Amino acid sequence: MTSLILKTAMRLIVPLTLLFAVYMALKGHNEPGGGFIGGLIASVSIALYRMTYGAESFDKLLPIHPRILVFVGLTMAFLVAVFPLLFDRPLLTSYEQYLNLGFGQTVHFVSAAIFDIGVLLVVIGVSVGMIDRLSREVEK
Amino acid sequence: MISTLFLTLIGADNGQHASVAGPALVEGAGSSSRTLLLLLAIFAPLVTGLITLFYPRKGITLRVLTALAGPVIAFLLLLNHFNVNGVQPLDAGSGPVAEISWMPLLHLNLAFLTDGLGLFFALLVSGVGALIVLYARGYFGKNEDDLYRFYPTLGFFTTAMIGVVLSDYMLLTLLFWELTSISSFLLIGWDRYDKHAVKLAMQAFVTTGMGGMGLFGGILLFGMTTNVWTWSEFINFGTWWQAEYASLAFNNPVFWAFLLMFFGAATKSAQFPWQYWLPGAMAAPTPVSAFLHSATMVKAGVFLTGRLLPVFGGAMVAADGLRAGLEIWPWLVTIIGGFTMVLGALISINQHDLKRIFAYTTVSQLGLLMCMYGLGSFAYEHNGHLLQNIDFDITQIANHAFYKAPLFILAGALGHVLSRNITELNGAIKKHPAMCITIILAGYGLAAGPGTISFQAKELFLYAIYHLKYTAVGNWWMLLMAAAIVTATCNVAIFIRLTTTLIGLPGGFKADPNAIEADHHHHEHEHGFWASMIWVPGAILVSFQYIGGFVPSLWMRVFGDLEVYNNNYFAEGIPTFWGAIIHGIHEFSVPLMCSGIAIVCGIVLGFSPIFRGTIKDVCDKIYPGIYWLAVTGGGKAFRLIQTGNMRHYTVMVLIAFLSVFYFVSLGDSKMFDLAVSQLGSFNEFWPGVFLGVIICTTALSLPLVSHRIIRILLLGSCGFTVVAMYLVYQAPDLALTQLTFEIISVVLFVLVIRLLPRDVPKYRPNPIWRIALGTMAGLAFGWMTLVAVGADPANKLGMWFTMNSYEGFVRDVYNAGRGGGGKNIVNVILVDFRGFDTLGEITVLSLAALGVWSLLPSRRSRKTS
Repeated sequence: MTSLILKTAMRLIVPLTLLFAVYMALKGHNEPGGGFIGGLIASVSIALYRMTYGAESFDKLLPIHPRILVFVGLTMAFLVAVFPLLFDRPLLTSYEQYLNLGFGQTVHFVSAAIFDIGVLLVVIGVSVGMIDRLSREVEK
Repeated sequence: MISTLFLTLIGADNGQHASVAGPALVEGAGSSSRTLLLLLAIFAPLVTGLITLFYPRKGITLRVLTALAGPVIAFLLLLNHFNVNGVQPLDAGSGPVAEISWMPLLHLNLAFLTDGLGLFFALLVSGVGALIVLYARGYFGKNEDDLYRFYPTLGFFTTAMIGVVLSDYMLLTLLFWELTSISSFLLIGWDRYDKHAVKLAMQAFVTTGMGGMGLFGGILLFGMTTNVWTWSEFINFGTWWQAEYASLAFNNPVFWAFLLMFFGAATKSAQFPWQYWLPGAMAAPTPVSAFLHSATMVKAGVFLTGRLLPVFGGAMVAADGLRAGLEIWPWLVTIIGGFTMVLGALISINQHDLKRIFAYTTVSQLGLLMCMYGLGSFAYEHNGHLLQNIDFDITQIANHAFYKAPLFILAGALGHVLSRNITELNGAIKKHPAMCITIILAGYGLAAGPGTISFQAKELFLYAIYHLKYTAVGNWWMLLMAAAIVTATCNVAIFIRLTTTLIGLPGGFKADPNAIEADHHHHEHEHGFWASMIWVPGAILVSFQYIGGFVPSLWMRVFGDLEVYNNNYFAEGIPTFWGAIIHGIHEFSVPLMCSGIAIVCGIVLGFSPIFRGTIKDVCDKIYPGIYWLAVTGGGKAFRLIQTGNMRHYTVMVLIAFLSVFYFVSLGDSKMFDLAVSQLGSFNEFWPGVFLGVIICTTALSLPLVSHRIIRILLLGSCGFTVVAMYLVYQAPDLALTQLTFEIISVVLFVLVIRLLPRDVPKYRPNPIWRIALGTMAGLAFGWMTLVAVGADPANKLGMWFTMNSYEGFVRDVYNAGRGGGGKNIVNVILVDFRGFDTLGEITVLSLAALGVWSLLPSRRSRKTS
């Protein structure tokens, strides 16, 4: 797939879809979206990028091994899950707080969001990692 | 610093209890510190053993001293505990003293029972353990690698063994029991490159492990029947159970619990027919044999039998008279013990390897100890009282440790400098006088010669056999007495041959002139203090034999308070050996006469030319049989189910699932009505029906195409239609997820398919049964969906999530006013209400990815190539 149109379009599409993925993940608590969807969208765009530009550009886009994403994501989710145990609360008790950002803006922060970001990272790491590894095998 | 900490702890404990008069049990804060101190005693050997791992490899002396500190600390703590608190009486109160909660729901807490039996064993293990640390230094010499590995493993074992004998909770005993099996496996298979040794280690592990499983089952069965989970409650068990549970009935769970527990004890203590693992375990280095296979681990079964005796053996002499035990106990335990005793003795005399000789005499002695506990279940009348037919059981057990451990230690020492084969040791005393004198002194203990505590112990045992004639056994006591005489004869003969050979007297084994002089000098010989450690620990241990023999008052001061049973034969305590003889002559003692017969026969046999070859134990065949059954037979059974064929798995799963499903739902008319009522309203869902038809058509066309890529695309189109279905019924989250997921799964599928071999499968008409199975599965899933939609709880759950996803209600018991803080119900369910599921799912995802990464080569390594 070395179409010039696709290559040019990808330059625009990839940043936008990644941004969209983050947006989906963050707004997921109140509207359609969430970490899982966000992760899948990001994976699709990264996979498309990898198909267009090949393995070397992919390595530049994601300079770390995907398993690091998986590791970080799992750790985040796990820590959020066990954190309430320290305060004698059941596993995964969520914690919410309205954070004042100044300028009259507040953000509704829920600890489950961190959990969701962990899910996002795991999903990206797993799907991108699998696609990349299998593609390399095919390209061999 | 650590030792000062320990000393402070001991001091603190002393101060605390000093004001309490006598061995009263202190409840409250004091006793919980007592539990902590015992815990410290149990884990000290392991901790110091692990500390030695951090030393530089060359620091041998430091390593030895640290490893020594563990058992010594344990010994001192236990001794202090004994001095301060005394022996925990068996009928004091009920239930464990001062427990530390661990897993109360599983009946597993940290509490320790320090009765005579437990304390004695703990002191024995820690005391002998300290000497073994020194002996190991002499045995392994300056070999850093061996010592580096040995001390942590030894500490591990010592800790496990002290734990076995002190635990109050039965399951805690089991836990430590299994740890002794594991550590003993590590110690027997010490030489990892010796395949034979590893095999023998496995044999010991599997055999004792089977017993451990038996013990586990027995404990569970007993605990669930009677709700007794601790040894202290067990021993204090009232009389209420006997009528119900004493019988030898097959529907009596306590009977089966006992059988299972005794199976555990019998395998651990190498009772017939499980005795084969013990001689096999001689592949271990001698320090291990001297520790595990003479004084400690093999006695765990004897210990367990001693624990069970008061209740299962019944006949505990209590203030309220006798309690009835299980009817099977006296016969089973006595007969197995007695048979093992005589069998071990007969095999032992037909061996040449010193370690094998002593291994089989250990088997024999373990049988004797078992038999002793079996006899303890009988009672006879004496001066108007019922007396239990067991006496000074602690002395019997201690006696064995004090001659068998030295025998092993010296066998290792002789093997180190000369040879372990008795035929090559003729006249060894000229070269190594100290070692030979020590082993002869210990051998005299084996022969139960007058002057050793062994002599009195044998008298006590023979006396117990003699008393059988006053019980239901009647004249059959003579059979057991004959077995005991044969055993004693063999032991005496072994001593005679050992002595004559080492000194070079006539009657000893001669060196075979045809044998090629083997070079046994593999080791670099040391001189000086550490080199002497190869025999000094044995000399220390064997000295107890003679102290006990000549100064029994001192022996009684040490062991008297620990004795569990001391009530009849020697009323004033154990006499000196001539006291025992005079006692016997005065009353014309049959036991004394039998001892005399045994000694005379033993001397004759010792000098005679018969029984001088080596024989093999028939029971050695048992383990290969078990192994074949488990590995080969088990493998065959396994392959019947695990064919490795994906289709078979799918079929199996479907058949299992469908049979359960149809079995349940066909009998329940409600399931049927629900589904039908849902079907009836299909015209309200015409977009869904339309999409459903598309999905079904796509799915049905799948088996008709043979090209893989087309199949994948068809599957994908199925998925995209499902996305449309979600959109129609207003589930944007699901639609989005399904959409992106379909894309990724199609990409992955295509990639994987391209990796598969390129054979194009020929079109084959599906057999009818496959179509039937598929139809059944489809019907089942459709039915389930209809039922799920129509069922009442679905609505309730939905309502609950709707109400609680943003903020909860204070009245709601499930969340106490705490909502998920989000308006998107699906996401709140995912990350909050069912967050644990999500955590599990992402873990599974990660594992799948790990699988792909480990099966296919690494991307980084390929980049360089």
